[in-house]
Amino acid sequence: MGFFRNIRSIFHDDWCSRCKSQMEVVRKQLYALPDQRVGHYKAHDDAAYYQKTLVPIEKKAQVPTGMYACGMHVYRCPQCGHQAVKLTVFLPVRDEEKVEQALYFEDGEMDAFL
Amino acid sequence: MCDGPVRKFNFVYLLAYIFVPIAVCALCIGIAFGPFRGVGAGAAVLTVVPSLASIAWWVGGGRFLYSRAKKRAEAELKAQGVNANQIFYSRGWSVFVDVAGGQVGLVSFWNPFKIFLIPASRIQKTWVDDGVGGVAIFKGSNRVSFLLQVDNSNVRVDTFTSNQRFAPNSDHILTGISKADTWVEILQAAKQNAG
Ligand SMILES: [Zn+2]
Repeated sequence: MGFFRNIRSIFHDDWCSRCKSQMEVVRKQLYALPDQRVGHYKAHDDAAYYQKTLVPIEKKAQVPTGMYACGMHVYRCPQCGHQAVKLTVFLPVRDEEKVEQALYFEDGEMDAFL
Repeated sequence: MCDGPVRKFNFVYLLAYIFVPIAVCALCIGIAFGPFRGVGAGAAVLTVVPSLASIAWWVGGGRFLYSRAKKRAEAELKAQGVNANQIFYSRGWSVFVDVAGGQVGLVSFWNPFKIFLIPASRIQKTWVDDGVGGVAIFKGSNRVSFLLQVDNSNVRVDTFTSNQRFAPNSDHILTGISKADTWVEILQAAKQNAG
């Protein structure tokens, strides 16, 4: 499941899966992932994990060295109203980002969190 | 436990590591072609066994002693009341840091009979070496490390090594840099707590 989500997100992650029209980003938020550290990364696919773990922050500089961060994009389809959430887990390293996982939640798994 | 000066090499160990097996082989071969001359089986055993033992020692002996030293260090630091809650093992050095207590334990691959325990205030300098060299598309690195200067000598701890070269923004190099940056902060925090 997570694997297909990852594959999908590499391609058109802003296309509506229902009507294939281009979705709009309605919200963006950056988070820290305090329990994920460099060298000890464990992949997670379940929304519950992220709802429990994500700590909202304002900018990347607030993430301590060696801690993972996560960007959230909330998409909404202007045609049919379908909503999707994309999470990108990455390690901020100086000015660069090492992307670890991209996840796509389409069935409201993250709704309780929003 | 030893409070320094911190040294990477035990030269007696280094020389013994290399030359004792050679000396033993030479001796056995000498015996094989002297007293055992003509005793086919004895001469063969005296030639083959020490050679194989030497190779086994060169391949695995150092690693074995180093891994024993790491375990001993963990136990001895604990017994001394050092709470080494930050530990980094690399091929050349193992670093144990008690951040709150401001103490640093060090074990070197080439000095495995000594466990150094020093106050973090003795760290003169810490920095990261990303190993990046070359220009344009040849720009890359095969080694990332963090370094600490103690007692005027540099302790280089590798967070990434490879026999291949990787681009500076590749996952391997970025991970290595992140680890090294993290460790510089850990050492600095310990240094501050050491007063
Ligand atoms: Zn749609």
